[in-house]
Amino acid sequence: MLKESILYESVGELAKRIESKQLSPVELTEAYLERSQKFGPRLNAYARLMPVEALDQARAAEKDIHRGHYRGPLHGIPYAAKDLLAVKGVQTTWGAKPFAEQVFDYNATVIEHLKNVGAVLLGKAAMIELAGGLGYNSASASLEGETRNPWDTSCWTCGSSSGSGAIVAAGLAGFAIGTETWGSILCPSAFCGVSGFRPTYGRVSRRGAMALSYSLDKIGPMARSAEDCTRIFAAIAGHDPLDRSTLAVDRAAFTYSPASDLKKHSLRVGWLANLWKEYEPGVAKAIQAAHKVLPKHFALVKDTVLPEGPWEDAAGVILQAEVASSFGDLIRSGRVKELRDPQGRIGGYANLSVSGGDFTTAQRVREILQKKMDALFESYDVLAAATLPAPATPLTLDLSKGLSFPDPLGAIGNLCGLPAISVPCGFTEKNLPVGLQFVGRAGDDASVLQAGQTFQHATEWHRKHPNLS
Amino acid sequence: MNKSKVQKINRREFAQRAALLSAAIVPGGIVFSKPAAAVTAGDAQLPEGAEKLTAESRVEAEARFQQLMSQYGTRFDAGEQKSIRNSCYSLQRSLEKLRAFQLENGDAPAVYLKPLVEREKKPQSAPAAGAAPTAAPKKP
Repeated sequence: MLKESILYESVGELAKRIESKQLSPVELTEAYLERSQKFGPRLNAYARLMPVEALDQARAAEKDIHRGHYRGPLHGIPYAAKDLLAVKGVQTTWGAKPFAEQVFDYNATVIEHLKNVGAVLLGKAAMIELAGGLGYNSASASLEGETRNPWDTSCWTCGSSSGSGAIVAAGLAGFAIGTETWGSILCPSAFCGVSGFRPTYGRVSRRGAMALSYSLDKIGPMARSAEDCTRIFAAIAGHDPLDRSTLAVDRAAFTYSPASDLKKHSLRVGWLANLWKEYEPGVAKAIQAAHKVLPKHFALVKDTVLPEGPWEDAAGVILQAEVASSFGDLIRSGRVKELRDPQGRIGGYANLSVSGGDFTTAQRVREILQKKMDALFESYDVLAAATLPAPATPLTLDLSKGLSFPDPLGAIGNLCGLPAISVPCGFTEKNLPVGLQFVGRAGDDASVLQAGQTFQHATEWHRKHPNLS
Repeated sequence: MNKSKVQKINRREFAQRAALLSAAIVPGGIVFSKPAAAVTAGDAQLPEGAEKLTAESRVEAEARFQQLMSQYGTRFDAGEQKSIRNSCYSLQRSLEKLRAFQLENGDAPAVYLKPLVEREKKPQSAPAAGAAPTAAPKKP
């Protein structure tokens, strides 16, 4: 029986044990499965566990490693994938009743990449129905019901990668894969106190992933450290001839070895002090403390501001128009009524009324913004701010009232396809995690990951874990 | 009279009138006509924030809503209709801000067509993925 502390180790630490044959991938998989069976239902973290397939993969990994065919740091590491990624022969529900019986006959490219490096797929993580694209006002907007936050089970994990956040925070797997259209990796990472990375748009193939918004969707890792995110990103990034939205081979690929230290130079940080209009007191305190840490470890930390403009409006119109297309059939047919959340059942109708002209105007505004942001990154390698101004919210909260504040950096980051990471930076007085985000220039994922790692070299917040017993 | 011309004019007029007739501005507020299955709830009360919209935008938001109701109205109860109406006004607020943003004619959209030039490099007769290979000619 493995100690609980081992199950909370980072991918890097687990990999060392596995490579040196001190830890068996089968033993590790069994331990995560047992823990997932025990705590998964309590948290509503999984859409489904795949114990038979996971143990087969773990045995294969163990056999390979014993033969001397060690494939790298993810070999034999169990993980969970958000239930919008196709896994051959396994139900992929997109968190929504109309797709509850859906089964694909191929693996998403991300799943295939992770299979190739020997990672062990433990199960499918619960998620908000249709990644929240048709709107939702309650945490229970999912086939699995509300996912409970391991730090306080009366609180939510945020969405839409809700299960992925809970699984990593609760030590139910080594890491998880999430997706973000607008906030769906960063928010659950902040609420759950894990490290979550949103890559530059186009660096990770979306083949086999549910399409919500063709020009906004991204896939990224959620893990126990920024360094883990870096390792996982290196495994899943790359051009995919089957996904024409991926970047060219030389721009999509990402390589990492700890010795390379990402970049030699220290980073310049633009601090967005006034990003959020109001902070909850516990969040403000943690963010102020994080701000004080930065100057010792970064070349420059200087207050800055985002360019002004209708960026959230542009992001909203583009999202609405693309959802009107991606789920137009569901809306027009009326099957949207099968969704769990009352807002989701009607939220898509207004999307149908966005005109082509307005959509194109939003895309033109987007181009202007891209240039403005690129200019801002002449002065800074990364921008930093609180990931959210509030900690995890109660499960019962009406989200239209409680989490409806403006999110300019979320809009800008996703509209421009910018990479971002959320890392834990403290706790509120109620012991709920607080997240700090770093956002970088499009394509400069390395700086964002380096910023996260630098912060975590100086702090211990990412090593804190909830007490589930 | 040319029949096809009449039909064209009628179609255009229909589209214009559908937008205009669904909402008519009167001093002190907006009065809405009610096509079949149109809204029954909250007619008198404008959605929150509607007062910040220009008169033209309010007409447009209402036309947007009425268009949806004329197509799908029977699916919704009064509360849902109210919610969809709010969404239409909320969308209109975003559109108003977007349209007010100064753009030059040459400001192109952010997403461009990627011509599928790879096709030119592939043999024309490549079989489709999954297609059964044609049988090789049998040797005598």
